[in-house]
Amino acid sequence: METVGAIEAGSYGTAKLNYLNNGSTLKSWLLTKDHKRIAIMYLISVSAFFLMGGLYAAAIRLELLTPASDLFETGTYNKVFTQHGILMVFFFLIPSIPAVLGNFLIPIMIGAKDLALPRINLLSLYVYWVGGAITLWALMQGGVDTGWTFYTPYSTTFSNTYVLAVGVGIFINGFSSILTGVNFLVTIHTMRAPGMTWFRLPLFVWAHYAVSLIFVLGTPVVAITLLLVAIERVAHVGIFDPALGGDPILFQHMFWFYSHPAVYIMVLPGMGIVSELIANFARKRIFGYEFVAFSSIGLAVFGFLVWGHHMFVSGQSMYASLVFSFLTMVVAIPSAIKMFNWTATLYQGSISFETPMLYGLAFMGLFLIGGFTGLYLGALGLNVHLTDTYFVIGHFHYVMVGGQVIAYLGGLHYWWPKITGKMYSEFWGRVAAMLIFVGFNLTFFPQLILGYLGMPRRYAAYPPELQVLNIFSTAGASVLGVGLTMPLFYFIHSLIKGKPAPANPWLLPGLEWRTSSPPPTENFDTPPVVTWEVYDFGDESGLDLEAAKREAAALTA
Amino acid sequence: MSAHSHSDKFVYHEPGLQHQFGDMGQQEESVSLGMWLFLAQEIMFFGGLFTAYLVMRSKYPLAFASGSNHLDAFLGGANTLVLIVSSLTMALTVYYAQKGNRNMQVGLIVVTMLFGLTFLGIKAYEYTDKYNHGLVPMAGLNRKVKANAATTEHVGLVLPGETTVSASEAKPGAEPYVNPYGEFQWHEYELVQHMMDKQRAEPSGHYLTYNEQLTYSTSPGSLVLDKDKFRDKVRIFFYIYFVMTGLHALHMIIGLGVMAWLLWMAFKGTFSAEYFSPVEMSGLYWHFVDIVWIFLFPLLYLLGRHYVHLGL
Amino acid sequence: MQDSSFVQLFPEQASTFAWQVDALYGYLILVSLVFSVPIIVAIFYFSIRYREREKYAVPREIHGSMVLETLWSVIPFFVSMSVFITGAIVYFGQYTPPDDAMEIYAVGKQWMWKFQHQTGQREINDLHIPVGRNVKLVMTTEDVIHSFYVPAFRTKADAVPGRYTYVWFNATKPGKYHLFCAEYCGLNHSGMIGTVYVMEPGDFDNWLSGNAGGETPVQVGKDLFENKLGCASCHAGGPQQRGAKLEGLFNTEVHLVGGGTVVADEDYIRNSILNPASQVVEGYQPIMPTFKGQVTEEQLNGLVAYIKSLSPNAAAAPATKKPDEKAPAEKKPEEKTPAANKAAK
Repeated sequence: METVGAIEAGSYGTAKLNYLNNGSTLKSWLLTKDHKRIAIMYLISVSAFFLMGGLYAAAIRLELLTPASDLFETGTYNKVFTQHGILMVFFFLIPSIPAVLGNFLIPIMIGAKDLALPRINLLSLYVYWVGGAITLWALMQGGVDTGWTFYTPYSTTFSNTYVLAVGVGIFINGFSSILTGVNFLVTIHTMRAPGMTWFRLPLFVWAHYAVSLIFVLGTPVVAITLLLVAIERVAHVGIFDPALGGDPILFQHMFWFYSHPAVYIMVLPGMGIVSELIANFARKRIFGYEFVAFSSIGLAVFGFLVWGHHMFVSGQSMYASLVFSFLTMVVAIPSAIKMFNWTATLYQGSISFETPMLYGLAFMGLFLIGGFTGLYLGALGLNVHLTDTYFVIGHFHYVMVGGQVIAYLGGLHYWWPKITGKMYSEFWGRVAAMLIFVGFNLTFFPQLILGYLGMPRRYAAYPPELQVLNIFSTAGASVLGVGLTMPLFYFIHSLIKGKPAPANPWLLPGLEWRTSSPPPTENFDTPPVVTWEVYDFGDESGLDLEAAKREAAALTA
Repeated sequence: MSAHSHSDKFVYHEPGLQHQFGDMGQQEESVSLGMWLFLAQEIMFFGGLFTAYLVMRSKYPLAFASGSNHLDAFLGGANTLVLIVSSLTMALTVYYAQKGNRNMQVGLIVVTMLFGLTFLGIKAYEYTDKYNHGLVPMAGLNRKVKANAATTEHVGLVLPGETTVSASEAKPGAEPYVNPYGEFQWHEYELVQHMMDKQRAEPSGHYLTYNEQLTYSTSPGSLVLDKDKFRDKVRIFFYIYFVMTGLHALHMIIGLGVMAWLLWMAFKGTFSAEYFSPVEMSGLYWHFVDIVWIFLFPLLYLLGRHYVHLGL
Repeated sequence: MQDSSFVQLFPEQASTFAWQVDALYGYLILVSLVFSVPIIVAIFYFSIRYREREKYAVPREIHGSMVLETLWSVIPFFVSMSVFITGAIVYFGQYTPPDDAMEIYAVGKQWMWKFQHQTGQREINDLHIPVGRNVKLVMTTEDVIHSFYVPAFRTKADAVPGRYTYVWFNATKPGKYHLFCAEYCGLNHSGMIGTVYVMEPGDFDNWLSGNAGGETPVQVGKDLFENKLGCASCHAGGPQQRGAKLEGLFNTEVHLVGGGTVVADEDYIRNSILNPASQVVEGYQPIMPTFKGQVTEEQLNGLVAYIKSLSPNAAAAPATKKPDEKAPAEKKPEEKTPAANKAAK
């Protein structure tokens, strides 16, 4: 049995060659084909975009502190929320988990030396940078005010802002996602280590498999749609502008055909991370592994069939609405299955509450609300009242932030020792997690109530009787802002002064914990052969539990 | 190849094997799966355009038929033939790469590239024709002719079924081509006029769809042809025509770039029975681009051509 | 609406189907609680009961349970189907206007709502309706997509350029209600708000008969011409007038300063109000101020109609000229055709 062997809890990463110190020139980074280095460059890039999007969010909440549009003029406010949406959706939420954590971990988790197509991986990073640079250039020139949804004919004909440049930026950026998706699918199919069967794959990998399907099949459609919008602006021809014979509803169909599955692009990897966190910190095989795995695929497939539920009030036929509402209700099932299985996994576990687990549990609570509010919006009669109000804003922030961002932070904390070889401050980690949870709920729960009261989205000014709830929301946003900034500081601190991380700080069975922290350039010193089942915490996993227990006892004594 | 391998244990010496793979079989499987997935996304990419085409065609069938009739089905058919034959030569290239026959590879790649260039040449000729007749749907991108200069530049009234009337073939008495700002122009209203007359004579007939009765008329449903409104719809046809064929031509140009690289590799004798997957992958791409054209040709050139035989 | 409580949680119910939407909402809250509370209790209970007692303990391995998986797939399915069906029933009620509904035309425009009652009254951003009557709005827009939203009525529908969409309601309580544009429409989207006045039928009839908006376009124009804008002080046609005489002007050729003639059609009149200096009639000084920005499209229509009515020979025209709401989609391409296109014609 040639395995990587037991790397006991106490063994520290040695000063040997790893991916971080293997070459330090700029060229060794910019021309690297190492998936781990590319992931680090993605990490820095998406963090920058997150910071920018966060500043826009702060501006939005400040403006909404008072009913009148007094901080900004309405035109400025329109640009602020549009740019918040575009930066967050296209440049943070969609790439963050797949391109950073997926990129770093999928090859390690399946026991490969690298992704199957390393040059394509590097290309995807450059494509992302080019798309991002064009978008940022447009924002600096004066920005864009169409809303991140680019509804026609406003975007094709009436907006006087840099729609063309931003559209081209997002178009180019889309190919970054497509290339990443192709790479993941190929890697998961062909690069698994001996013994790594499909049902021994960690659920994180299953989730990325599902996401990659959406990347490959969905992204091109929004790319061509935005290209058509861009051409319409230049040439003044109309597929989408009714004044020239076009059809604005066609745009909505084509846009949501991608952008609804894009929601699953954002939340599915988060679900993958949470599956890892729950199973590993309860030290138990996940309850109903196959159901959790296939519910990811189910979400990806059904996600393609429900786009019309964004258009219940747009004048589409009532029967189309009926079908889309029905399918939307069906999508609730895979989400429910995941939720129940995570809860059941905790049963009879041995649960410890390190920072990543706090994020995992927070995700379960928040996704519960995010998922259920989705049901409210999928119910036709209620959707008519709620769509385009703050209820929608609250709902998708519960899914996007409460789901994706919380999971991303959980994953980042979970794998930070592996990625950097350094331990962060557990105390500050827990404090930040608590602040984020409280701040998040305080920000977005009032928005659900505001939505039912009828406050429309994208309003710079609102009726004065709605001010109290908006003040709550802004107050919560300040707490959330503080909570989200803290990791930046203690992560950087850990890089400089953090304790070196052991190869397996929590004694977990995943393949990523069976190589040094940080891993060597080709991930493993000896190619791994997998002989244990997934999430096996017992003796057959090859982990030296007895030695670890003795060591832990010695530490506490 | 794998100069950046750090432990000697993993250095393989098979030609073309990249460091992340264990053996050639794994590499070929990966590359081929990657290519198929890339083609799947290409299908979705063109799929968006086909959707736009279908929706617009079902809204304005007569405008699209008029536009289709203006295109030269002979040239389009010739291009179809060119691409199908080029697919054959491409497939033969793969065959000879597997055989390790360098000379045949080089020769067939050159032939395939020549077919590709022929296609682009014919396409360029068609585009020029549209430019000369004011059919590019963007103002300023057509040939600009001032009124007083038009005497030497006569262009005939192009009837359904007739095509490519060049300046020298101008029919006597035809309207001169005048287009000082390079705007989109359209002169062929016979088909829609004919249908409108019939619809007016027989209100219960289905010569125009309900939507067309509203949108081609001076006032909704009046069944009096408004040429400007009809022209706008034909313009949508040419917009879709240019976007679809333009993106297809862009794919052809990229394909030619790939073929040029392949030619160089084949010339160096890189490919053998053991290592030929670049040829195979380029072949997949080339066939895909051909197949897109197989769909574009009937949709853009042929649909609605039967109206020519109405005896208008 | 003016609820005195500190934080309001529900908007006022003011339409016949508002209670249905609220009941659906209540049902969903119930469903959420029935599912969430046990899950949250379980998470907390398990977290405490099965917290780590020994480092690296190996808990009993549980693979899953087909029975449980089936249960928690099938039960949520039936629950979500119940939500789907009730939601669909409410939706059909919201989106199926009754045949006897009183129709009102609504046109969205950056950034205002324009309404026209069948009796001719026009309103901007205000909508007066009687209580207890079925009201159906026939909506379209002049530019981008807007969305008509009255939270108290629990209904909303997009107004889409180039086509008509419908929304209906039956108000149950007199009062003032917010009207919002719910689909983002550009610069002043958050200013595209208004008020729906629900009135007792008697009050509504009074409002209908007493409202100045009941004037025909010609009357509107006459009022503007003689009183509001004071055009008559120069254009009344007396001998000492500084402005050109307008009687009998319509559809005649006028000679312009600097040579050239032009037919005094609608476009010319419109242009002369908005850009007076551009086409000055021979014999007059270019002293007229521009009225650009001071008159709305509606008022311009009124003025043009009035000036046309001064030329009885062409008087048939205003009658056939329907208000622009009748065919906005069809008018638009013409209005938007770039000037250069005219050269091509």
